[in-house]
Amino acid sequence: MAMKLQVVGVGKDYLIPVIERVSFSVEAGEFVCLLGPNGCGKTTLLRIIGGLEPATRGTVLLDDRPVVAGDAHSRKVGVVFQEDRLLPWMTLAENVALVLKPLGLPAAERRAIARRHLGLAGLAGFEDYYPGRTSGGMRQRAAIARALAIEPDVLLMDEPFGALDAQNRRIMQNEVRRIWKETRRTILFVTHSIEEAVAIGTTLIMMSARPSRLRETIRNDGRIERAKLIDDLNTMIMEEVERQQGGAPS
Amino acid sequence: MSERDLATRLHLPTLGVTAVIVAGWSLLSWRYGAYVLPSPLSVVRGVGEILLVGFGGAVVIALLTGLASFLSPRARSVVHDFLAVLNATSVFVWIVISIIWFGLSNWAPIFTTFMITLPVVASNIVEGVENVDRRLLEMGDVYRLSGREKFRAIVIPSTLPYLVAGMKVGFGLALKVSVVAEIFGVTSGIGYIMNYSREILATQMVFVWALVMILVMMVTDKLVFDSLSRRLARWR
Repeated sequence: MAMKLQVVGVGKDYLIPVIERVSFSVEAGEFVCLLGPNGCGKTTLLRIIGGLEPATRGTVLLDDRPVVAGDAHSRKVGVVFQEDRLLPWMTLAENVALVLKPLGLPAAERRAIARRHLGLAGLAGFEDYYPGRTSGGMRQRAAIARALAIEPDVLLMDEPFGALDAQNRRIMQNEVRRIWKETRRTILFVTHSIEEAVAIGTTLIMMSARPSRLRETIRNDGRIERAKLIDDLNTMIMEEVERQQGGAPS
Repeated sequence: MSERDLATRLHLPTLGVTAVIVAGWSLLSWRYGAYVLPSPLSVVRGVGEILLVGFGGAVVIALLTGLASFLSPRARSVVHDFLAVLNATSVFVWIVISIIWFGLSNWAPIFTTFMITLPVVASNIVEGVENVDRRLLEMGDVYRLSGREKFRAIVIPSTLPYLVAGMKVGFGLALKVSVVAEIFGVTSGIGYIMNYSREILATQMVFVWALVMILVMMVTDKLVFDSLSRRLARWR
């Protein structure tokens, strides 16, 4: 089967090498969760894949075409950031309709699509609210609706629930899982929470300590018992955290 | 407090008082003659022209510098340097230069007003452009919004509050500076009349004009700028 997304030997150096060399492939319709100790470059890797930042080495292929930072790719990429990044002076519906403009749709259709996706994200009835009048969870839902509205080939999510409380977090995890089942988008999801990754991902990728490589790729298809999987991943991440701290003078 | 309540509290009584003052003013002007106290209309025309051309011109040029500093970082540093110089230049320098260049015409106070308000309004706009949230612009890049669309949907709305704040300060400055500029050289306007009143020892007229100016300033502040910023902050 053709790969939707291929990450080939991608690395990134700032003042120090952050990502040494990472390679993996994602099939269409997969829900991949990217895990790793803090500071191992998960967000950086996601930004490279989204074309927001150039890689120091290696390439990213989306439908076999290279992603070049700063150049518009022929495939559509939706990104949900840690913050909602909604325009505060536009209503939720206007925010979603705005990103449909470059697709060349007429205004009426843009509005209809925006409403449909806000409804899908559980925001029916709140379309004409300004972001400032809604809760953090609702804003993040709207950001997800915005990313889905363009019908992205790949949806990149960078700790989208990091700013939410535990209860909202659980609700949003279920929502994203449901939306993924309904739309079958290819999703790459960065998180630092092992429980979250095990709860929603079909494939779990564990990165090592900085300079990071791929430590483990796990299919989360229920063949490994959930509790044991969480235990194993916790052990792995503690090993990597120790390694990262051992490398630095204390 | 409801919207209506607020309007009653702030605007209507003020408007009433303003009407009374303007009526009294017209009466006095008719009683003493236009030479001592020109009619409200002629003063508004004089001040209005200075503000419209001098201050309005400054706002237009300031908008252009804001646009330039958004489009090019190099233009931004040039704008910065020029604004620093303009900000450091005294009102008196412009008054003297404008009298040399424009003589006794109305262009002297117009030019002075323009040169003094330009850096205030422009600095605000440039600062607004610089403070546009990079993360929102990045969001625009992710969704491939065109440069024009990003400007319309992201840059303009985030810069507008800075523009209104700059215009508010600039307008007050324009009103004050234009009067000072009128003391020198010109043969009309509030500044000229105040100076003339002083010469003929009509001290009470000096105070009347001072009050008129304060009132004009406060009324425009409440009626124009406050309602403008309230409209802009609708989404807050």
